[in-house]
Amino acid sequence: MEDSIKMAGEEKQTENKPEELRIGVFICHCGLNIAGVIDIKELVEFAKTIPDVVYVKDNRYTCADPGQEEIRKAIKEHKLNRVVVAACSPRMHEVTFRRTVSEAGLNPYLFEIANIREFSSWCHPSTPKEATEKAKDLIKMAVAKARLLMPLQTIEVPVTNKALVIGGGIAGMNAALDLAEMGFKVYLLEKGESIGGHMAQLDKTFPTLDCSICIEGPKMVDVGRHPNIEIISYADLLNVSGFIGNFKVRIRKNPRYVIAENCTGCGECKDVCPIEYPNEWDMGLGVRKAISVPFDQAVPLVYTINRDYCIECYKCVDACGARQAINFDQKPEEIELEVGAIIVATGYDIYLPYDNQLYGYGKYTNVITSLEFERLILAAGPTGGKVVRASDGQKPHSVAFIQCVGSRDTNKYPYCSNFCCMYTLKHVVQLKEKYKEDIEVYVFYMDMRTNFKGFEEFYQRARELGVNFVRGRVSRIFEDPETKNLIIHAEDANLGMPIEVEAEMVVLATAAIPKKGTEDIARILNLTRGTDGFFMESHPKLKPLDAPTDGIFLAGACQGPKDIPYSVSQGCGAAARAATVLSKKTWKIEPIIAIVDPTKCRNVTTKCGICAERCPYGAIKAEEKKPAQVITAMCHGCGTCVAECPADAIQQMHFTDAQILAQLRTALEKNPEDKILAFLCNWCAYAGADLAGTSRFEYPPTIRPIRVMCSGRVDRDFVLEAFRLGAGMVLVGACHLPYDCHYISGNWKMKARMDALAPMLHKLGLTPERFRVEFISAAEGVKFAEVIQEMTEQMRTLGRERIKAENEKLRPVLENMLKRKEKK
Amino acid sequence: MSGEKPLDFTKEITSKLGGETIARCYQCGTCASTCPVTRTTERYNPRQIIRLALLGQRDEVLKGDSIWLCASCYNCQERCPQKVEIADVIYALRNIAIREGNIPAIYTEFANGLMSEGRLAPISKFLEKKRADYGLPPLKPTGVEAIKKILAATGFDKIMFKKEGTPQ
Repeated sequence: MEDSIKMAGEEKQTENKPEELRIGVFICHCGLNIAGVIDIKELVEFAKTIPDVVYVKDNRYTCADPGQEEIRKAIKEHKLNRVVVAACSPRMHEVTFRRTVSEAGLNPYLFEIANIREFSSWCHPSTPKEATEKAKDLIKMAVAKARLLMPLQTIEVPVTNKALVIGGGIAGMNAALDLAEMGFKVYLLEKGESIGGHMAQLDKTFPTLDCSICIEGPKMVDVGRHPNIEIISYADLLNVSGFIGNFKVRIRKNPRYVIAENCTGCGECKDVCPIEYPNEWDMGLGVRKAISVPFDQAVPLVYTINRDYCIECYKCVDACGARQAINFDQKPEEIELEVGAIIVATGYDIYLPYDNQLYGYGKYTNVITSLEFERLILAAGPTGGKVVRASDGQKPHSVAFIQCVGSRDTNKYPYCSNFCCMYTLKHVVQLKEKYKEDIEVYVFYMDMRTNFKGFEEFYQRARELGVNFVRGRVSRIFEDPETKNLIIHAEDANLGMPIEVEAEMVVLATAAIPKKGTEDIARILNLTRGTDGFFMESHPKLKPLDAPTDGIFLAGACQGPKDIPYSVSQGCGAAARAATVLSKKTWKIEPIIAIVDPTKCRNVTTKCGICAERCPYGAIKAEEKKPAQVITAMCHGCGTCVAECPADAIQQMHFTDAQILAQLRTALEKNPEDKILAFLCNWCAYAGADLAGTSRFEYPPTIRPIRVMCSGRVDRDFVLEAFRLGAGMVLVGACHLPYDCHYISGNWKMKARMDALAPMLHKLGLTPERFRVEFISAAEGVKFAEVIQEMTEQMRTLGRERIKAENEKLRPVLENMLKRKEKK
Repeated sequence: MSGEKPLDFTKEITSKLGGETIARCYQCGTCASTCPVTRTTERYNPRQIIRLALLGQRDEVLKGDSIWLCASCYNCQERCPQKVEIADVIYALRNIAIREGNIPAIYTEFANGLMSEGRLAPISKFLEKKRADYGLPPLKPTGVEAIKKILAATGFDKIMFKKEGTPQ
């Protein structure tokens, strides 16, 4: 995706007027939570000695109204232009105090927290002296960052309150209907001739056996008639540009050779058309005319001419007569839409196992897939609901159903396709209830997965009807060349015996696989796909409907195989998620984004583009011979690009190199070889450290933490600088691999960077334990405490002298490395 | 269930060459139903061997003759949906069994023949006469010393000699 809109306020973010620094420091007692361990008086006296600090005040509870009022008063009376609060975790009250300072007229980003509760008083209660010393460092580090803070403006982008839903299956239809009911204009894009999706192909639905089209048909009509929904069918998605609230979508409408506005759907053209071709809707089992609709309930009810088969006899033109709906000169038409949010509901395909030699699909006439069986047993299907064999047109007396064809197979699709157990149960119940004693039914399965409402009872019903369930995977099917019966080889694993079963028909429950074209949609919308090929959600638990790109949502089986109720729920859910964007006039973006300095960017002279390649969101555009450009509305503020940029041409607002280095240098001013310098990512490692504090896990007060939004922000220069300054140990704390990162893959980028750095440091003589990357979740307070305990012990075992000696040896090399970089 | 902790035996197998993939098995029975040996005898069923092994039934697996019945056709391995290298797992189990002295007599004979004569099958008078009848030249002596060297380098001789004299 691309974008050329420059954000308002972007220039403002980078300007930094020189002004006299007037920093106020507010130290919170938090009742006895802080004051019970830390000597507040000493802290106050210490804070007064820090350069640029003009006002220091302690409060019993800084977050309470009187405490906040004192901050507001002090800002006005003492003309404070930076505020530092030494209290609890920023994850607790950063938002509170930002509001407080902005109420007093100060930019909310000119505020910083020193976390002296979770990070000091709560985790070092038995060493109050050291805890106080650590608190002093934390305050001094916060002041160091505060000096360099810049006022930032919240970025607002306008929102177009229209939506695009891609895919007109049951998930997409529900998404479109819900959004339309909320009052938003919805474009429903469908690749095929009609909406309805796979559900419209089905006979019955499990476990209730209601008729599928009887419940879906009315919904399709509702969609077609809704004044807020515009169906764009028989059309392809060409391109999407822009960002949340402001997407530009290009679509190509393919020619039907029938003018939609003039077509009444009467079908008189079809009656006179002499040409028939296999109907893909019937899985090729039935036929349709060269001018036709795929099925009677199609919405929109507009006929289409298939020019691959049409012989241009023009009988249809005559039959249409005065309505003049047929136009053989129709051309593809490109249209452009503007929408604020996009819902992707492109669904799935059914695997056709032509490549599976062992089961003989495509080779033996009486081996069919479940979707073909579905069309056979459907009353409106090509056989009028009679289940017959292709070889002789006779009703089979024995049918074997084979589960997990392609699914749960590491050679094809390793995942479970979710709904096959249930649709096979549906098929066997239908067969048994239709033909009673006249049919023998086998199901070869590995595990029966019947884990939703009414499913297990349905399984029971199938057993009571006398279906033979055989636990064992089929290894091979042979055809009897005379009878065209199938001989199935399997092991009855419960008996531990190889068995052979002869059946007159075999039905393969094949895998649900990513829809053809998923790759193109992924490319156009910058969506990520899992190893299974389905679209990846932003977070598997808490953001199951959000795509990683803001303003784009996922619904239904495009994200993994799902049954009807699950797809409907997701459609409705995605509509609600999209409405959180569409219902706003403007969309606010926190301004902690990355900004490129075009004068430093290498991409102007050489082909670089590292930032664009490493950005987890595809938010950076690096065109040839032009400086890289961050698309503000797509940037999530992880800072990975900043750390990756070889020219230091990118800065992350509020987490600039200068700010982080100032914290780092302050932390290592005194006795650096006794300290562990830690970079903690906001969402996992920092939260884990907070939890260690709230859980009162005690660990040695040796650590000096620096908060970054994502571990991806941790530049290797930070590590080098820390060792140059003599740090005892360096720790990088990140979210767990592979999926825990809140910025998709920042932790992976950090890992790759540090994996390359560590051996180099070891070669230069650094003891390996002194530089550590650790993955700590927000729930692993214990682990955090243990890691610090362990590192402290290692540091003490090594001893100051050894550390100092190593650092002496390292320093010239590190200085050289850092200097070389500065020159560039 | 008797036997050691299931996990210990699984770990032992996965640490052996060929045994790495055993824990992937989900007991579908593709191997058993595709196996030409299982079709002829109840004494060999690869799925059951893997099951017993994963349950830590060490003696059951190693002391019987079951693992020695595999014909190494690799049908199972080709068709396994979980990429368990079944035939190779059986080899790993055989290697463990041999180290513990569970060797069927026929294999001891083979090994001894290999080490003393350099041949798996002994040369009988009958065989030599047959060769002459067919106009084939008499068999040359093998480079038994070289073979012994190789077998010593691989440690094969030690495994086998350990069992020498102990009736199977």
